[in-house]
Amino acid sequence: MPRLMSDKPGLRVAPFLSAGFLILTLGNLVGLSAAEPVAGKVDFNRDIRPILSDVCFHCHGPDENQREADLRLDNKTGAFAKRDGSTTIVPGKPGSSELIRRITSTDPDERMPPADADRKLNPQQIELFRRWIAQGAEWKQHWSFVAPKRQPLPTVKNKSWIANPVDAYILARLEREGLSPSPPADKTTLIRRVSLDLTGLPPTPAEIDAFLADDSPNAYDKVVDRLLKSPRYGERMAVRWLDLARYADTSGYQNDGERFMWRWRDWVIEAFNNNMPFDQFTVEQMAGDLLPNPTLEQRIATAFHRNHRGNAEGGVIPEEFAVEYVVDRVETTATVWLGLTLGCTRCHDHKYDPFSQKEFYQLFAYFNNLPENGRAIKDGNSPPYIQAPTRSQRKQLAKLRSQLAATETTFRKLGPDIDRAQVTWEKSLNTEKQIDWTVTENLVARFALDAEARADQKPSFSKKPGFSAPTNDAKASGGRKPADAFEFKDGTPTFAPGKLGRAADLDGKRYIDAGDVGKFDFFDKFSCGAWINPQGPQGGMILSRMMDADLKRAKGYRMRLRNGKLEVSLSVRWLDDAIRVETVEPVTADRWQHVMMTYDGSRLAKGVKVYVDGKPQKLKVNLDGLNQTFQTDDPFRIGAGGGPVARFHGLIDDVRLYNSSLSSAQVEQIANVESINSIVRTSPDKRTGPQQRKLRAYFLAEQAPQPIRDAHRSLVSLRIQTATFIEELPTVMVMQEMETPRETFLLKRGEYDKHGEQVQRGTPVSLHSLRDGAPNNRLGLARWLVDESNPLTARVTVNRYWEMLFGTGIVKTVEDFGSQGEAPTHPELLDWLAVEFVSPQTKSAKPWDVKAILKTMVMSAAYRQSSKVTPALLEKDPENRLLARGPRFRLTAETIRDQALFVSGLMVEKRGGPSVKPYQPAGLWKEIATSTGYPQDHGEKLYRRSMYTFWKRTVAPPSMVAFDAAAREACQARRARTNTPLQALTLLNETAFVEAARVLAERTMTEAGTTTDRVTRAYRLAMSRRPSPVELRILSAGYDAHLAHYQKNPDATLKVISIGESKRNEKLSPTELAAWTAITGLILNLDEVVTKE
Amino acid sequence: MDPFTENQLHINRRHFFGNAATGIGGAALASLLGGDAMAADKAPTKRSGGLPGFPNFTGKAKRVIYLFQSGAPSQMDLYDYKPKLKDLRATELPDSIRQGQRLTGMTSKQDSFPVAPTKFKFKQRGKSGAWVSELLPHIANVADDLCFVKTIYTQAINHDPAITFFQTGAQLAGRPSMGSWLSYGLGSDNADLPAFVAMVSGSGGQPLYDRLWGSGFLPTRYQGIKFRSVGDPVLFLSNPPGVADETRRRVLDDLAKLNRLKLEEYGDPEIATRLSQYELAYRMQTSVPELTDISGETKQTFELYGEEAKKPGTYAFNCLLARRLAERGVRFIQLFHRGWDQHTELPKGIGKQCADTDRASAGLIADLKQRGMLEDTLVVWGGEFGRTVYCQGKLTKEDYGRDHHPRCFSIWMAGGGIKPGMSYGTTDDYCYNIAENPVHVHDLHATMLHCLGIDHKKLVYKFQGRYFRLTDVHGNVVKELLA
Repeated sequence: MPRLMSDKPGLRVAPFLSAGFLILTLGNLVGLSAAEPVAGKVDFNRDIRPILSDVCFHCHGPDENQREADLRLDNKTGAFAKRDGSTTIVPGKPGSSELIRRITSTDPDERMPPADADRKLNPQQIELFRRWIAQGAEWKQHWSFVAPKRQPLPTVKNKSWIANPVDAYILARLEREGLSPSPPADKTTLIRRVSLDLTGLPPTPAEIDAFLADDSPNAYDKVVDRLLKSPRYGERMAVRWLDLARYADTSGYQNDGERFMWRWRDWVIEAFNNNMPFDQFTVEQMAGDLLPNPTLEQRIATAFHRNHRGNAEGGVIPEEFAVEYVVDRVETTATVWLGLTLGCTRCHDHKYDPFSQKEFYQLFAYFNNLPENGRAIKDGNSPPYIQAPTRSQRKQLAKLRSQLAATETTFRKLGPDIDRAQVTWEKSLNTEKQIDWTVTENLVARFALDAEARADQKPSFSKKPGFSAPTNDAKASGGRKPADAFEFKDGTPTFAPGKLGRAADLDGKRYIDAGDVGKFDFFDKFSCGAWINPQGPQGGMILSRMMDADLKRAKGYRMRLRNGKLEVSLSVRWLDDAIRVETVEPVTADRWQHVMMTYDGSRLAKGVKVYVDGKPQKLKVNLDGLNQTFQTDDPFRIGAGGGPVARFHGLIDDVRLYNSSLSSAQVEQIANVESINSIVRTSPDKRTGPQQRKLRAYFLAEQAPQPIRDAHRSLVSLRIQTATFIEELPTVMVMQEMETPRETFLLKRGEYDKHGEQVQRGTPVSLHSLRDGAPNNRLGLARWLVDESNPLTARVTVNRYWEMLFGTGIVKTVEDFGSQGEAPTHPELLDWLAVEFVSPQTKSAKPWDVKAILKTMVMSAAYRQSSKVTPALLEKDPENRLLARGPRFRLTAETIRDQALFVSGLMVEKRGGPSVKPYQPAGLWKEIATSTGYPQDHGEKLYRRSMYTFWKRTVAPPSMVAFDAAAREACQARRARTNTPLQALTLLNETAFVEAARVLAERTMTEAGTTTDRVTRAYRLAMSRRPSPVELRILSAGYDAHLAHYQKNPDATLKVISIGESKRNEKLSPTELAAWTAITGLILNLDEVVTKE
Repeated sequence: MDPFTENQLHINRRHFFGNAATGIGGAALASLLGGDAMAADKAPTKRSGGLPGFPNFTGKAKRVIYLFQSGAPSQMDLYDYKPKLKDLRATELPDSIRQGQRLTGMTSKQDSFPVAPTKFKFKQRGKSGAWVSELLPHIANVADDLCFVKTIYTQAINHDPAITFFQTGAQLAGRPSMGSWLSYGLGSDNADLPAFVAMVSGSGGQPLYDRLWGSGFLPTRYQGIKFRSVGDPVLFLSNPPGVADETRRRVLDDLAKLNRLKLEEYGDPEIATRLSQYELAYRMQTSVPELTDISGETKQTFELYGEEAKKPGTYAFNCLLARRLAERGVRFIQLFHRGWDQHTELPKGIGKQCADTDRASAGLIADLKQRGMLEDTLVVWGGEFGRTVYCQGKLTKEDYGRDHHPRCFSIWMAGGGIKPGMSYGTTDDYCYNIAENPVHVHDLHATMLHCLGIDHKKLVYKFQGRYFRLTDVHGNVVKELLA
């Protein structure tokens, strides 16, 4: 057994290994310097600015408030200025330059940086300054703020190596370094590499064979085109974008409730697959809503800026978080398009780059005009959001609507027939016979209150579909009454003549406990109402299902009289988690009137309607912030709720509860208790509107000739079907402008409540300006981002693609192109790519053509090199920044899982749709947030591509996190690439991988016969290549050993081959399958399998 | 020289992997468990990983056990004794005290703010005479080992930002947690266990989030590993059902052979790292179960921590595990106990919380002390903010509730470098404002790092062009707290 406390001395690590391990670090330890060696001419941007920035700008940079001695070194004027008799920098004369004197001074009071500074200059850096000044102190603007220009290609010796202009730049640098490129990768390696890169999945053996058999000079070209056309390409590309867009399926704070943004995710996939030009891709996501007559797709695109987290916590101060959301939009925009760290300027002027705090808030102003509440919705989307039907749903909806229109027309044409039939029926009616009729559809309970009994009760409640588990788990606690309970409390049962028969007579003390009925929740549609005749003081609870605690704390729903007005509350916690509305007009005392409330399950005050005598009432909204379940186990009460102080005084009759949000027509019918025969007795020209409508409704429902009733019924059911369909359409949170723009202020120290000066929208002055005539809004800003004079967007974008393919960006700090970012290894190449991206010379490419620029990269000889590492190369360039070899690095979290599903044949390739919940260890959500269980999916949802896995921000899927997937809490431009034992444990033991191994074993057993053939088959599926004889020997011997083991252990055998929910192939021998599962499991763990090489 | 063939490939397996801290395996461990190989090279003998030059000076503490009381315990019901409040019961909190302080959305619309004194009795304890509530009899018994800080304050007023602030030094998600900073700076003292372990207990109340032990922008290998009480203590630790250890060993051996062939052919050092990670994974499969197996603990131990300590998932069990992790050299052991958010029915709720945590918290202190480990283990107890002196909801004779209060609250610290038997800082008579010696969250962090021998201004990481640190651009070491 290994000892826990190791007391062995550490071994010195050989230098070559140290260098190798540095690949693992993202951080501040730099292996090979990105910049070229500093012999010869000193380049300001490459050699001097990074030192100035890192060491000096903190006190002598753009931030005015922090500037020491009024000396500014981040611009030419400041650095070359004459000051008090000395000049900081005198070109050509290091000896006369105050800068050199101060950085070399031996006097501690004079020496710069001062002794207590965090960063110091080393002798090499001081020497660089001296040489730079001696060579004339040429000052240049920071490279990334100067727009790239197309330049002549560099000349190289080994011209035959050049496949396209990319290679000229790579080779020129290699030749300067005295290095040569590696030989081309073999075709098998190459097709696997490019397939993984462009589609996120490996090639099939058939695709490999076809490529190997294709001797034509453009064989590879054809493969690349095929891959770029594959719909898998869009999925692969979208993953990167989702990281940048901090896309997730939850809101990110506290219990971290679900939200629905997948329609935007699917928009991204579609945009990549359609090769939407990057400028359009940008404009639609930034400001699709502001385009003229925006399409639904263009509005969906704007969800990009709503993917930030949203806080629904109880005590939130909305203004505080409203500011955070806008800040997030600014920071994300700056990182994604500009590669700038503008986040710093939220609190103060930038320390390194020429951006002021005021400019931050000028950008902030573009995104600060959204009608949103800083307190987000806990479960579901936060306004503003729109319905976003998919294309097929739109087709279905159009079909439904045209059906409905046709049915409406047909029915309207029946009008004269109906009139005639009704007259005939009325004539035939015995008007002396009492016919009482009212709305009974969706009636869940009715209390006639004629005696101590009850009727008409069926407690069935609907849940809004699509939500995971928003309700609490507290169930079946004490105090719940059976559904048929009915009991007067705090007094004896008393009845009086009522509106209909008798009524409950309540004296402000006694009330009725009506048991477990009406247990509605905040997602349910429901309605309830009664006849009331209030007496005496104008207060008291009419109907409630709420805790009988004091009114302020009571949770539940209720309708009561308050100061004569009718008040409805749906309440979790009064003051911050409730809907409360009241009628503007009071009800009348000492008179019968019908009162009713309806709620549509929207969790919004506007979803509550209140009716008196069948007429909708004007409402005053006192609180509109319902955020979680208000269900209680307390009974439904008539005349009480919320403690003994709030009891009803007067008569209550005919209490009704419906589990639907009744229409105003239905409420009108309920409020009109006149019998049908009585209406008929009234002469037709004297009948009121309500009378006519009730009579017609009754006639159509009960008495019309069969064909008319059928026509009516199908019309009604089609209406319901259409309404339900519309209601269940997916929604997505979008950007939207307020009519009156919100004022924006500079926030001192970035704090939401510390307003400084008011600011107007504007772009930073150190970058290009908005075009003349461009609207100064988000749309203008979006176009500014992709303006051809923008020096950053194209560079930042192509650099990210480069990183995706080659492992490291030309600028390694893909998120920071400012002066603290790393300088490009191949600045001219970066510029060439940026220019080529925006205004391509390549035939068939359009401006901002993503597929074309990717193709240019993968067609280069640089990309197609072998990725083998030689000791010499490793020593010279451990991080492969110079690209004397092809890229070799671990696959992403998503690709590793997708590949396992794909090669086993388990993968279900369905594009888009709501996120899915594959296997996850039990209890993972619950143990840190009690009220949220993980309802794992089954069937095909277990085998979708990983990009569709449900992403809960506070508990991200563990097998993704283990492989460095982005946390999706904020914009992330770059993922780490670590190598940890947790990854080994995941690949060896996680259900999805173990199941994939078993199914891959089944596949190889079915598709090949001998041990050799089976190993070969598995190798080709997982690694594209065939095994070597040594590898075959090792695995064959391994197989024999496993087989012998399982033959002796039948129980273990069955267990091993029963993992995962997919059905096992029963035709295969269990022991052989178990043994093969061990082999295929091993294969899926091979370094080569989880690596692109 | 061909380094691979000469130095690695021809070494036989046993030698290659047999010694955890040597050879390529050890180097790679360093990179996972809290540092990088470069630094490991220069690190003291037993340490793997960490930054060169760290610790910056000799600190008294080698490790931290942080007993985080999530939800925010009420300071005036536990530690901050305010006898004068009795007479002020049910009077309105004066504006001169509230000073326009912002309130949460839960009580800001309340029409009155009646003072709710604690209903619990306080006594002075030990030689130091620290005031401790009757709710915490066991902690009271070790009061002379503790340093009470009554004047911690924060800016955050809601749970999520506040707890994130305590763990990462920033209210918004994205920064590394304190344990990650320490793994990064100091590395690990045990090659077979993670440098940073988090454990969760308590149910209900405020939820927690993975980011609280996340590595933020530091490489993910510095993130805390959450030990779970159900299923595998570490995710995916156990072999799948039916996979015997011999099968696993055979697979790993063959896997190593094949990976080594690849290394020979391709020369990518990443392959060597992966080889070693598989061996470490295999060793963790033994070392973690051994760690969580408490069957060898004595009766005396359970007398200290309470019988609850036998039940995985309880706070007491986690305290015991914290000691076992500390013994094994784990750098940062972070416990979270949920359920302290008593907006209503505080007396009942806080009583239950104290019953669940009091004995084990004190037991841990006593246990560390008797093992001689308290001097180099820094223990911290506390929540994310305090609670208001005014009542949330209805104030009755028996009942009251309290809202969030960031302006002052109490924590205690003990062990490694901290002065025992003292109370620091005073609050006003309403327990609403700090009267003297404020200690900000950043100051606490700076002080904790100081105890570990770290200058908080030196533990930095460059991200997005800026040097970040746990204390952001703030923080002062509170020298008065130091032993």
